Amino acid sequence: MAVSEAPSMQSPSTAGAPAGSAVWRIVRFTLTRFVALFITTVIGVYLTILIANMGGHVDEIRRATIREGLAMYVGMAQEYAHLTPVERRQLVEQLAEVEYKRLGLDQPFIVRSFRYLGNALILNLGRAEQMTSDSGSSQVRNIIMERLAPTLLLTATSFLLLFFVSIFAALALSRRYGSFLDRLSVALAPLSAAPSWFFGIFLILIFAAVLQWLPFGGMVDAPPPPTRLAYFLSLLKHLVLPVGAIVLSSIFIGIYSWRTFFLIYSSEDYVDMARAKGLPSGAIERRYILRPSMPYIVTSFALSLITLWGGSIILERVFNWPGLGRLFYQATQVFDTPIIVGNTIIYAYLLAITVFVLDFVYALVDPRVKVGSEGRSA
Amino acid sequence: METNGFLHVEDLILHFRTAAGTVQAVDGVNFQLGRGRTLVIIGESGSGKSSLAKAILRLLPRNVQTYRGKVILNGQDVMPLSEERFRREVRWTKMALVPQAAQNSLNPVLRIEDQVSEPLITHGRVSSKEAAMDKVRQAFRLVGLPVDFLTRYPFELSGGMRQRTAIAMALVTEPDLVLLDEPTSALDVLTQANLMNVLKRIKKEFGTTFVLITHDIATASDLADDVAVMYAGQIVERSSADRFYREPLHPYSKKLMASVPALKQDKQLEFIPGRPPSLINPPKGCRFADRCPARFARCAEDPPPATVDGRQVKCWLYH
Repeated sequence: MAVSEAPSMQSPSTAGAPAGSAVWRIVRFTLTRFVALFITTVIGVYLTILIANMGGHVDEIRRATIREGLAMYVGMAQEYAHLTPVERRQLVEQLAEVEYKRLGLDQPFIVRSFRYLGNALILNLGRAEQMTSDSGSSQVRNIIMERLAPTLLLTATSFLLLFFVSIFAALALSRRYGSFLDRLSVALAPLSAAPSWFFGIFLILIFAAVLQWLPFGGMVDAPPPPTRLAYFLSLLKHLVLPVGAIVLSSIFIGIYSWRTFFLIYSSEDYVDMARAKGLPSGAIERRYILRPSMPYIVTSFALSLITLWGGSIILERVFNWPGLGRLFYQATQVFDTPIIVGNTIIYAYLLAITVFVLDFVYALVDPRVKVGSEGRSA
Repeated sequence: METNGFLHVEDLILHFRTAAGTVQAVDGVNFQLGRGRTLVIIGESGSGKSSLAKAILRLLPRNVQTYRGKVILNGQDVMPLSEERFRREVRWTKMALVPQAAQNSLNPVLRIEDQVSEPLITHGRVSSKEAAMDKVRQAFRLVGLPVDFLTRYPFELSGGMRQRTAIAMALVTEPDLVLLDEPTSALDVLTQANLMNVLKRIKKEFGTTFVLITHDIATASDLADDVAVMYAGQIVERSSADRFYREPLHPYSKKLMASVPALKQDKQLEFIPGRPPSLINPPKGCRFADRCPARFARCAEDPPPATVDGRQVKCWLYH
């Protein structure tokens, strides 16, 4: 015993650090991450404002639209029938100036863009230009919030299904490497090259048009069922096809890549060691394959959620699903800039919050990552 | 030593399937080992010695083509056992492993105490978590690790400490046989010496049977009772350590011993010309023939093992 006291047994420095400095470290880390993500979000939103307004060119289009509308109005109205063409043109210009002022179009675009940015960041998005919510409000916030829930419902359902099915199927396949099912999953992987709406069209064709088992689209029956249970069942019925389309479009590549991932992780030395120790295979999978790979699984979980959300624009269109994706599509059709910007801010905030939470979850699942640690000894 | 066989390995064969062909990593290995003795298996890299350890422990990769032979432990052939019975009755209860690279052999996200106590709990050796921790602390003291390291994670330990942890983990269930697969190869000489001392003390105090697989002939001499030399998937010489280190018989063993440096001697270190044969298509006759200085006509045929006063040597020179 005495002989073997190796000289290498210094104690890691983190162990002796006082608790106060640990709190300060976490606070500092949180603030740094928060500021960094906030700046990223602001830049992203500002770029969106510039692009959505085509660098101010949309203002020209809007001015022209206003003048055209006024010219029509002045030309048709009885009370202005006695005016000469020159007077009419002057009147149109006058009315237009008032309208520009009302909409804030009299100020230079660059000034407006920064004011817009400030309001956008606190989600004070003002009125939409042409669109209204189903309840009749033209407040951008109301329009977006109304569409948020259906999108969350659709993406969260398909996402959870997709995630757990692919993880567990992949784990099962990695156990049966080289079997028929395993080779089948490899062969099916390229199916995921097709986007979800592509599968959606086929699902509608088969299950709605030919078999007539499920509705073509929408979120609930019209008129909406009166009781809560009937409403829920109707919702479920409408959810099957779009969820099916999303799951079909990603499940094969998901299973394939997780399977490969688990195969790599199960050839680690410590997995061999766990086998040598005689642990049952369930324990090996849980503690020696899933646990060490958890940080990567969590990252992929969070990032794919965002991709899924952003990627459902066409799918929602195909299924006539009243979500953010379809809203975005409609807004781009009519140049409704406030809606486009508002949509993007929601996405940007979502991304930033996810990354922020991810940093902390990472530290929870992986002891090697310590929040805000710098001089730790290995 | 040969009669009181505690571990018998008979005609053990482990072949792998690869794109280039069948790799005959372990090709008909035989040896016996008495209880409480230490067998050192010496070989170059690629001679199949780590595969031999895997074959004895049944830690097979996915691309196994042939795996057969007998591994008789304490009178029981463990090869016909089902995977589940082998897991419950043999793994870590009868045979334990100290792996080569302990830094990769510890799960990075589990605390040391959980990993070391796992075999005790899995195999029902203890009645409670607390009893398990007692045993773990005992094993830690045995290998000279401070017990407050138990709550740490592997990345917080140095290489030497991790290797000690691996040894403690192998000893915690008091197995009959401990396989050490190059336990000190990745460490500096000081740590190596420390670990060899730990192993020597354990051997003396507990009479544990060791199979030590290494390419480090000099360090291994400290612990060895018996020596087996492995070349191209086969054992070419078996002998007691005393006689082997004094006078090896096989031409390959002689060359191997001549390559070990000794302090303050003027001898020119030797090396063996050529390279070990590929295990995919090994030569038909003696596998060392191509590099052998004493080669003659009969070497074109596979030599059966010859017995020279209690030592086995697979070479035509001794027939």
